[in-house]
Amino acid sequence: MLIQVVRTGGFAGIERRAEIDTSGRPDAHEWHALAGEAAAAGRGLRMPGAAIPDGFSYEITVDGQTFHCAEPQLSDAQRELISRVLKEGA
Amino acid sequence: MEAIHPVFCTIVPPHVLDKLARAEDPALAGPARRTLEADAQQRTHRRLTTVIGAPSLAPSPGAADNKVHRLIHDAQHKTDLPGKVVRKEGAEPFKDATVNRAYAGLGATFELLLKAFGRNSIDGEGMPLIASVHFDRDYGNAFWDGEQMVFGDGDGEIFLDFTLPVDVMGHELAHGVTQHTANFSYFGQPGALNESMSDVIGSLVKQYVNDQTAAEADWLIGQGLLAERVQGVALRSMKAPGTAYDDDVLGKDPQPATMDDYVTTGRDNGGVHINSGIPNHAFYLLADALGGKAWERAGQIWYDTLTAGTLSTTPTFADFAQATVAASRARYHDGEETQALLKAWEQVGVPTTQKKAKL
Repeated sequence: MLIQVVRTGGFAGIERRAEIDTSGRPDAHEWHALAGEAAAAGRGLRMPGAAIPDGFSYEITVDGQTFHCAEPQLSDAQRELISRVLKEGA
Repeated sequence: MEAIHPVFCTIVPPHVLDKLARAEDPALAGPARRTLEADAQQRTHRRLTTVIGAPSLAPSPGAADNKVHRLIHDAQHKTDLPGKVVRKEGAEPFKDATVNRAYAGLGATFELLLKAFGRNSIDGEGMPLIASVHFDRDYGNAFWDGEQMVFGDGDGEIFLDFTLPVDVMGHELAHGVTQHTANFSYFGQPGALNESMSDVIGSLVKQYVNDQTAAEADWLIGQGLLAERVQGVALRSMKAPGTAYDDDVLGKDPQPATMDDYVTTGRDNGGVHINSGIPNHAFYLLADALGGKAWERAGQIWYDTLTAGTLSTTPTFADFAQATVAASRARYHDGEETQALLKAWEQVGVPTTQKKAKL
């Protein structure tokens, strides 16, 4: 499973992107569960229309399926997934 | 120190609630669903506030006396807002420097708005200034959520504590002022104007606190926010957009100073933090030409424009520039202020004469 995160906006307006390929990872099932939960919370939400000033916006792609979310409307699963991919991903 | 808490719905993470809400047992599903609905309602309320402007509330305690009413919260590294109240108005300094910086920064911004522009707080009616610090962990951002300011501690690698630069606090509070006045939408050119207005007011707060003239000011946004290893002095420069940083990790400051280098992009809400360099630079050029304290005349023209009520929520740079000229003529007629203003917009390549028909 390939999980990609693109973060845009924020006070600095600096884009950050990272991705994680879970194939072969011992914790792959954990990533899959987390990505599934994050995507479920993002389903039905379209591209956030009106972002809040200086808030981060995220584009998350899990195996080619993209969803969007933005601060402060993040579920815990989304927040955790984003933070882990940006920290541990390349 | 681990304490055992009874299970309250409010402390259950949403993803657990999601699962519970789908449970077959109505005793489990019912409360979870209600909590999720309440949460969603709160978020929708905040979202609507940023989109359609704030509803007028009952007069605030500060409405009559022109006094600041601050309320600083500690989010305690969590993401629930606003968090725990740690310093109220008039209370002694708290043991946490971040809390005290936020308190002082909000106070400085309130004072600039009142002394320079006669504005009583964010809404003009003494609205309490609410801020939360220590939001999330290693959180490299600060934002305005439609009702309050939120500050992260930074990750320590790239960004330090977002309460360190006073202009960052002024910037966030100014988003509230814009929301309660011209309410520029947060996308494309209107969004870049929204951002620029916050940079202008943020920089003016810093200049006011340091009692600096336009010539003495550094015109930097976020100076002191970048960690030591980052190659850069700040996040933005109003004096020289595009020169604030040039770093291996962060990349190079992408801000243009003039319309020749205008960036067309869908990212960052259509480049709101990028193209804001153009109106930022126009403001700098005006303030520099006039000399003296920038909030006195240049700032007054910008504030008059923001509050004139003549702009739509989706102005182009040209619409905004024309409105500044109208504001300047109303206050200073064809004096040096208006002459310097016309020149400033010309230098950044934004037309001040109406050429196109209104849509």
